[in-house]
Amino acid sequence: MGDKKSILIVGGGMSGLTSAIEAAEVGFDVVIVEKNPYLGGRVAQLYQYFPKLCPPNCGLEINFKRTKSSPRISFYTLAEVEQISGEEGNYQVTIKTKPRFINDQCTGCNKCAEVCPVERSNDFNYGLDKTKAAYLPYAMAFPMQYVIDGSVCHGKACAKCVEVCNYQAIDLEMQPETITLNVGAIVWAAGWNPYDAVKLENYGFGQYANVITNVMMERLCADNGPTQGKILRPSDQKEVEKVAFIQCAGSRDENHLAYCSGICCLASLKQSTYVREKNPNAQAFIYFIDIRAQGKLEDFFVKVKQDEKLSLVKSKIALITEDPATKNLILEGEDTQSGERIRETVDMVVLATGMEPATATVKVPAEVAYDDYGFIVSDQDQKGIYGAGCIKRPADVAGVVQDATGAALRAIQSVVRR
Amino acid sequence: MDQVVGPKYGSRGGAGKAYNQSFAREVYRNVDSGEEIKMCMQCGVCAASCPLKEKMDFSPRKIFTLIRAGQREKVLSSQAIMLCTSCYSCKVRCPRKVPVVDVMHGLAHYALRQGYKPRAETALFGQKFWGNIYRLGRIDEKDVALRYFLGHGLGQGIKLMMENKNMGIGMLWYKRMKILPERPIKNVKSLRKMLDKAKAMGKGGAV
Repeated sequence: MGDKKSILIVGGGMSGLTSAIEAAEVGFDVVIVEKNPYLGGRVAQLYQYFPKLCPPNCGLEINFKRTKSSPRISFYTLAEVEQISGEEGNYQVTIKTKPRFINDQCTGCNKCAEVCPVERSNDFNYGLDKTKAAYLPYAMAFPMQYVIDGSVCHGKACAKCVEVCNYQAIDLEMQPETITLNVGAIVWAAGWNPYDAVKLENYGFGQYANVITNVMMERLCADNGPTQGKILRPSDQKEVEKVAFIQCAGSRDENHLAYCSGICCLASLKQSTYVREKNPNAQAFIYFIDIRAQGKLEDFFVKVKQDEKLSLVKSKIALITEDPATKNLILEGEDTQSGERIRETVDMVVLATGMEPATATVKVPAEVAYDDYGFIVSDQDQKGIYGAGCIKRPADVAGVVQDATGAALRAIQSVVRR
Repeated sequence: MDQVVGPKYGSRGGAGKAYNQSFAREVYRNVDSGEEIKMCMQCGVCAASCPLKEKMDFSPRKIFTLIRAGQREKVLSSQAIMLCTSCYSCKVRCPRKVPVVDVMHGLAHYALRQGYKPRAETALFGQKFWGNIYRLGRIDEKDVALRYFLGHGLGQGIKLMMENKNMGIGMLWYKRMKILPERPIKNVKSLRKMLDKAKAMGKGGAV
């Protein structure tokens, strides 16, 4: 399948979708390979964008519509690139897909999930709740097609879902597949992972229930999230009154990520507005080393900091401990502006973890240049395989859309050159 | 000339103090690990990580910023530089990998060399501790304690001994201390040679 004039896009998040749509709309065939059972990536998991504080759904929906209506875009979900050989203008790519167990007859009626006896941790909500083994990743999922988690499904021994499905959409014998493609250029838009907060031992993530990360906070605030948009803390589902955000949780730290992810300050400022909007009596604290709101985003910082119930404290928190009786958290640090010691008790802590490129853990199966942290380097001599979006540098959504458009152009040059 | 005068902060009605780097340079040059201070970004993690934070007059972060501000007297006569117990919490957590413990010890050595005695008590204890190591190659708890107590003078020494009597008995009971004197380690003379050499390089000695 494919030909030397087509472009492979690895990753169906905001970057991958943008590259795919841009290239397709000027007349090139593109194939998207996505690891998850849905497109949309981490943007689909956000509650609001900064600085406009609007939901990401509308932008995503437009992109889904453009993807759907373009005859030049095809995509594989639950798929990963296994092997790449060849050179610019002529690559042979091997793709491995995991079985979805549900075919495209699915109408999204939810009957399979209703009868399914098995539960699994909901990775879309970062484990904050559970779904059935037969599930729809999220309400607006594209493709609108259920999926069965093969690692927990009882298989043919149970098959209750097969009985209730009116559309013959379930096939529990679906097998992994290997697909070979011939393409002219590759855009690697595999995205990013939040830094593993468990490694920040002094913050107690994974040990104290009410220490969560910024990506979890997005799900907690989202209307389609585990709490229907109410900020209820994990230990006792109590509505939060005092929330602390800890900046540079693992970023700008020689022991963890030495670089600044550039977006976490804005994300925490944004999330402090969630706290204040959802509970007008709530208090928010942001503990920072420096607030880095660059360019026009500084206006957002200036606007948010007007709020009297938001305290911005210049201090890197040294230690979080839990009060075992109340499950409240006690933060210790030094306010470096007043010089005074900080000891603050809060209901919930949000760690502003940074972005790690997907290529920090899983490399491109071809020769590609990386920097010290695993980000793909834009190298003029490196033709044919191009990074796009957060695989190249930490960035916000607007930034990756621009970058992905640029990557699409370079990929087009690669297939036209030959 | 060492005396570099930087921009005058607060020139618009402020104190207008000159920014003097000469002490910072003195520290970079003469204090063991002193140059590492340059890496500090003033986040304050060391300050809050310190188990002795309540006893310190200046947190390590403040000490570093005082050095940069040229506050020689405040730094070299501070209690903080003598209080570090080498627990390493700050060094482990420092996002800039500043070896805070080494810098604090370096500053303490330097202060003593310059004739400052920020904490006479700590210096006395350090001296007796070091003397023990030098003689035996190990610590004899009762010997260190005895010498430290008597270092305060006979009357005060006896008073201190009585005050700490129960701790001593406890240590004997739990076998953390022997009744008989400790014997020197094998080949203690070679150890002394090493310690002498280290001292000659300015890397050792009692704090």
